[in-house]
Amino acid sequence: IQIYKVLFILLEWTCPGLPSPPRPICDLRVLNHFIQEARDAEVAMKSCRDGCGLTELVSVPQTTVNFDDWERKNATEQAQEVQTGLWLLHQALGLLQASMTDVDLNNHIDNSIRNLLSINAVLRSLNIQEYTPPTSAVGLEGTWKVSSVAEVLQVHVNFLRGKVRLLLVGAEACQQDVS
Amino acid sequence: MTRDQHRRLVAVYLVCCVMGTVSTAQRAQDFQRKASMLLAAEPENPKCFAEGRKAFTCFWEEDEERAGPVEQYSFTYAYQNENGSRCPLTVAPAAGGKKLFVCHLDRIQMFVQLDIQVHRESVMIHNRSLLVELVFLLDPPENVTVSSTGHQGQLNVSWVPPPLKYMDDSMIYEVMYAKEGDPAGQVEVARACSELILRGLQAATRYRVEVRVRLDGITYSGYWSAWSDPVWMETLPADLDPLIVSLTFIITFILFLLCLIVLLSHHRFFIKKVWPTIPVPDSKFQGLFTVYGGDLQEWLRQTSGGLWVTSALLYSEERPSPVEVLSELNLCRSLASPPLPPKACNASTQRDERELSNGSDSAQTDEWRATQQQHWLMERLRETRPGMGSSLLESQDTYVTLSTNNHSEEDHVDDTLEEALPLEMHVASRKTPLSEFHSDLGSGQQSSGSGRLSSQSSFEYPSQGWTPKGPGYTYMAVADSGVSMDYSPMSRVDDLGKVALYANEYKNEIPPHRRPFLTRQYHVHDDG
Repeated sequence: IQIYKVLFILLEWTCPGLPSPPRPICDLRVLNHFIQEARDAEVAMKSCRDGCGLTELVSVPQTTVNFDDWERKNATEQAQEVQTGLWLLHQALGLLQASMTDVDLNNHIDNSIRNLLSINAVLRSLNIQEYTPPTSAVGLEGTWKVSSVAEVLQVHVNFLRGKVRLLLVGAEACQQDVS
Repeated sequence: MTRDQHRRLVAVYLVCCVMGTVSTAQRAQDFQRKASMLLAAEPENPKCFAEGRKAFTCFWEEDEERAGPVEQYSFTYAYQNENGSRCPLTVAPAAGGKKLFVCHLDRIQMFVQLDIQVHRESVMIHNRSLLVELVFLLDPPENVTVSSTGHQGQLNVSWVPPPLKYMDDSMIYEVMYAKEGDPAGQVEVARACSELILRGLQAATRYRVEVRVRLDGITYSGYWSAWSDPVWMETLPADLDPLIVSLTFIITFILFLLCLIVLLSHHRFFIKKVWPTIPVPDSKFQGLFTVYGGDLQEWLRQTSGGLWVTSALLYSEERPSPVEVLSELNLCRSLASPPLPPKACNASTQRDERELSNGSDSAQTDEWRATQQQHWLMERLRETRPGMGSSLLESQDTYVTLSTNNHSEEDHVDDTLEEALPLEMHVASRKTPLSEFHSDLGSGQQSSGSGRLSSQSSFEYPSQGWTPKGPGYTYMAVADSGVSMDYSPMSRVDDLGKVALYANEYKNEIPPHRRPFLTRQYHVHDDG
């Protein structure tokens, strides 16, 4: 018995406890908060006059949702589509942040970038496999080319309200909590 | 195919047709209702609304006179970054001589901008950009149920939300409830739920409940739906709060105890007020009521007056009332200087003087008799109240003057004087000051006058000093004995013979020290 006790203690030292999986974030009020802030940025953009333009075309995810088409896709496809879109938005908002001189609008963009990272964390909490699209966005399906900051922010809002929300609502981890 | 199969197919076809017709009619009715709501709520044209995940309808209104055929109009729509498409139009009648041009789409896309243009003969008449997920107009909640929660003033309202996937948590509800007969009501809001408890309602009151729904506007948005069909429900009747009941009982019990204590501590007072003691003279007139049935004359005949007086003297524990008998002769001698107290003495008037002059002979005899009587009375008085004598003359007691003009009937009285007959007095009254005697001896049985002596000595005294009128009058001062007696104002000489009987009932309770004990009969002239 004394030997077993010693072995047990040694195992505790050598094998630290595996990290417990994060608790799934199924409360949609979190996403609603992100959506509200994205809307605030879009409204702020309408009042911007100078120093709020894009110098080049930017790729953004398509936000169109047809429920029948969406339901035909499996969970993995849905997750990859959403994560690709979040990656594209992150790239586009990064370009805006670099070219924007309006302080107020810059604050909104910074906030939006932080919210995108938070959404990725929420997806991880739902045990959704992480997906990183290829570095080059050229030829990616389901993307649009936009030339204005307003279009970027509009796409940002619509993407969060649409596909991101549908993914969270249909997440299997949240369905298990409900049942 | 056999005949039966053929018949079945025909029947199924007919049923389907009927059902389709019914559903078509129902849809048309629903559209008319929603169109009327949007016409009032949406200023832009065309007016568009989404009913679910797939159905999307746009329409605009035109006057029937100005509108052309539907072929003149074109409805085109295009999603962002997509090519445009054309929507086939239909025409529906509207109220007020107008018609609606309607475009209905079964396949829609959300979270993307939709651009709409309406042309009439290549001329754009309407243009609008919108997001489909922001123009929802849902059907009202179904199966609205109102039930009691078991608590006073509460009702439980439940309903079935519109069947929209992905949108349950984005719905908000308004529950409107109003009392019966009240056109306006109150509204409660519920978010992302299908049940609500109404509180603060009146007890035993009938309420009307209606529910409508709308999307919250964060992800999805739109217009308020129509109100559901009203549901009536009555609240529970008011229950008595046990605390209030117990407190009420305790307070009532305490008040009852207080009243009981007050009653017990003052029970004698209340008994006197409610059941006043009626003095009964049975003890003083033994056998008068029980044997002789109240017949005083008979009782007097049968019983001995002296015994009554003696017994009263011997057995009464009361102080005898100071009845002072004044003799005119005595007054003239002994009260030469001090006048008599201003008592209600019945001084003789001129009438008595005339009578005296007429009966001068008999007056002398009467005078001698009166003197004898006076001496006897004085002696009696002194026996009972030593030192009363002249002090009585100066006392403040009530005085009653009595006439010595006794009739022949009074011989019997004189004879029985020694036997101490009950005192019967005729109070002589003057018209003016002395006419207001008030005696409460009781209602005399043969009282013909209206004078009554108050037991509280309410004698009216003459303003002038009392002076003896002349010989032949016996003056008797009667102290305020609290005895009520009736007297008849003697207006004629004939009235002198009348005897005033004692009343059988006493109006007031005679104070012990003032109760009369003398029983002598004296006639008093009425000076009136």
